[in-house]
Amino acid sequence: MTIDIPALLVSAMLLAGLYATMSFGLALIYGVMKIVNLAHAGVMMWGAYAAFFFIVHLGISPFLAPLVIVPLFFFLGILMQRFIVRRVMNAPPIASLLLLFGIWLIMQNIAYLVFSGDTRAITTPYTMMTFQMFGIAISVNRLLVFCVGILALFLLQQFLGRTYMGKAIRATAQDGDASKLVGINTERVMEIAFGLGISLAGLAGSLMALIFAFDPDFGRSHLLKSFCVVVLGGLGSFVGVALGSLFLAIAEALSVLWIMPAMQDFVSFALLVIVLIVMPGGMLGLLEKFKKS
Amino acid sequence: MKHVRTISVVCLLIFGMCLLPMAEVMAQPKEIILGAALPLTGGQSREGGYYKRAYELAVKEINDAGGITVKEYGKKIPVKLILYDDKSDNTTSVQLYEKLVTEDKVNALLGGYGTPLITAHTIVAEKYRTPYVNGGGATGAIYERKMKYIFGLIANIEKLTYTVMDWLVGQQDAGNLKKPLKIAQMGENTSHGKEFRQGIQARSKAAPDRFQVVMDEPFELNLKDADPLLQKVKASNADIYLVDARLADYTTIHRRYTELGLYHQVVSYGPRGSEKAARDALGAASDYIMSCNWWHKDLPIPAAKSFAQKWEKLYNEPAEWFPALGYETVRVLAKAIEDAGSLDKEKIRNALAKMDMKGSLVVGGRVTFKPNGQIDNDYVMMQNAPGGKASLIYPADIATAKAIVPIPKK
Repeated sequence: MTIDIPALLVSAMLLAGLYATMSFGLALIYGVMKIVNLAHAGVMMWGAYAAFFFIVHLGISPFLAPLVIVPLFFFLGILMQRFIVRRVMNAPPIASLLLLFGIWLIMQNIAYLVFSGDTRAITTPYTMMTFQMFGIAISVNRLLVFCVGILALFLLQQFLGRTYMGKAIRATAQDGDASKLVGINTERVMEIAFGLGISLAGLAGSLMALIFAFDPDFGRSHLLKSFCVVVLGGLGSFVGVALGSLFLAIAEALSVLWIMPAMQDFVSFALLVIVLIVMPGGMLGLLEKFKKS
Repeated sequence: MKHVRTISVVCLLIFGMCLLPMAEVMAQPKEIILGAALPLTGGQSREGGYYKRAYELAVKEINDAGGITVKEYGKKIPVKLILYDDKSDNTTSVQLYEKLVTEDKVNALLGGYGTPLITAHTIVAEKYRTPYVNGGGATGAIYERKMKYIFGLIANIEKLTYTVMDWLVGQQDAGNLKKPLKIAQMGENTSHGKEFRQGIQARSKAAPDRFQVVMDEPFELNLKDADPLLQKVKASNADIYLVDARLADYTTIHRRYTELGLYHQVVSYGPRGSEKAARDALGAASDYIMSCNWWHKDLPIPAAKSFAQKWEKLYNEPAEWFPALGYETVRVLAKAIEDAGSLDKEKIRNALAKMDMKGSLVVGGRVTFKPNGQIDNDYVMMQNAPGGKASLIYPADIATAKAIVPIPKK
C-alpha cells in the first residue's frame, strides 16, 4: 500500500491553517490575561451556529459571514469580560478556570435548548468543490479556511505591532503592573483583548462549520487540540501558534505511515507532554535558544 | 354464655370471609407503571426525542383502549409512563433507572437509546430483577453478559454486516461485482464499530475467493481530519468501501471522500445513509450510498405501514427506525404483561423470554428473543436515489427498486 505523501502534506498544511485559526484566540487571551479560556469550545460552537444562521437561514454569502460574525463575537467578548470574567481576575487561577468551564456548559445547554441535538452542516455552492494542482486534489473550502487563517494572523500582527491598542496589549501581556505605571488603561486593554480572543474563536467556529458537521457538543475535541497547538508554539505567541499548528498537523498526518489513524490524538497529546517537559517555552522558545547559542 | 361466644366467633369468621374479596379489590393496582430515562438533552437528544414521542404515542393508544388486560385482576389497567432525561450521560442514566425502580416502583422498564447508556443502565434492571425492553441498543456486547431481564428489539451489528455481505454475494453471482472483491473498511472506535469490522472480517475469511479485506482501520469519534484515513483508502485500491460511522462522522468523512475524488463500486456507512440531515448536507454526493437498517417505512407489513402513516400524519415527517422501534418496545412489553396475566416481575420476564408476537412492525413481522434476550430478525438494505429519495433494495422479496451496482461514477 503506497500512501500519497505529497497529498498528505498538502492536506496537513491546510489543516494547519484551521488549527492556527482556532488557537489564536486562546493564545491571545492567555497572553494578556493569563487566563485559560475553557469557554473557547463553547464560543467556537456558537460561531458554527452563527454561521449556520447567517448562511443557511439569511442567505448571506459564506465569504461575507465572517464580517458579521467577527464584530458580533467581539462585543460578546467585551460583555463577557466586563460583567463576568473581570470579577475573578484577581482570584486564584482555579476561579477563572471553573467560571469559564461553567460558561461553556451554559453555552452548550442553551444550544441544546435552542438548536436541539441534531447534527447540522452547511452546504455552499463550493462545498466539496476541488481543483487539481500537480495531481493533488485541493479542496476549495479548506483552502479558503487556510487563507482566512493566514489573513487573521497577518491582521493580528499588524494590529499588535502598529496600533496604540495593539502595543498596549503587548505591553500588558509582558508586564501588567508596569503598563499601569506608564498610564495604560489595562482594564480597557483586557476588555479589548478578551473581545478579540472571543471574536477569533467565533471566526474559527464559523470556518470549521464549512468543513465539519456540528452539534452543541462541537468544539470539545478542538479545544484540546488548541491547547496542544498553543503549548507547542509557546504560550502567548502568535507566530509560535502558527508554527505549532504546522508542526502538529504534519506530525499527525505523517504518523499514519507508522501507526493507526485512530492514534492521531495520541500523537498530539504525546507531543504536548514531551514539549511541556523538554521545552516549556514551545517551539519559539527553542528557536530563541538556538539563536542565542 | 358458651353458645354466645361460639356464635360470635362464627359471625366474626363469616364477616372476615366477606371482607376478603374487598381486600383483594383494594389491593388491585390503579395503574401499571412503566418508566425510562432517555437522552432528551445532550449529544443524543435527537434520537432520545424520537423515543419519547414514540413511547408516549404507544402508551396513549393503550390507554385509549382501556389499558392492558391483566388476568390476575380480571380487568384492564391503564398505564402510567414516567420518563426522565439522562442528559446523554451514563452516570445520570444509571441513577435515574435506580430511581425508577426504587422510588417510582415501576412494574417494568423501557429502554434508553445508545450502546454506552444502555450498557450502563441495564445493570440496574438486572440488579433489581426488573424486566427491561429496549429498541435502541444493537451492540451484541449488551446481551452477552448473561443477564436474564434484558431484552432488545434490534438485531446485533455483526448480523448487519452479514446482511451486507450476503447482498454482495448476490451481486457477485449476478455478475454485477467481481470476485474476489477488495474491501476497504473503517469503523468508529466503539463496540459498535468493532462488531461491524469483525463481521466483515469473519465473512471475508470464510470466503477468500469472494472477499479480500485490503484495509481495516478504526477511527476516533468526532473525527477532525479524515485525510490520513482516506489516503489509506485510496492507497488500498479497494473495489468497495464499507464504513460504520455516526451521522456527524459520516457527513464529515463523506464530504472529504467526495472532495478527494474517490470512487468505489459500492459505498456504505453501515446503518447511516438515508437520514435527511446527511442528505441535505451532502446533496448529490450521498446518491447511491447503501445503508443497512432494522426498519424502513416501506416494509410490506401492515403494522409497519400503519405506523408510518400514523407518524407522518401526527408529526409531518417520515417515520424513521428510531420511533418505529420505540413504539414497538412499548407494545412488546404490554403484550408480555398481558401474556403473564400478572404484574409479578418474574412472570413478566418469563413471558418476554417466551414471547412470540405476530403482527409486529419489525422486519419479518414477528418478535421472538434469543436466549440472550436479543431479537434475531433480519435487516433490510436501502439505496439512496437522486432527489433525496431512498429505495428498499434487499431482501429481494420486499425490494421496491433494483440496486444500482456498481454505482455510477460522478
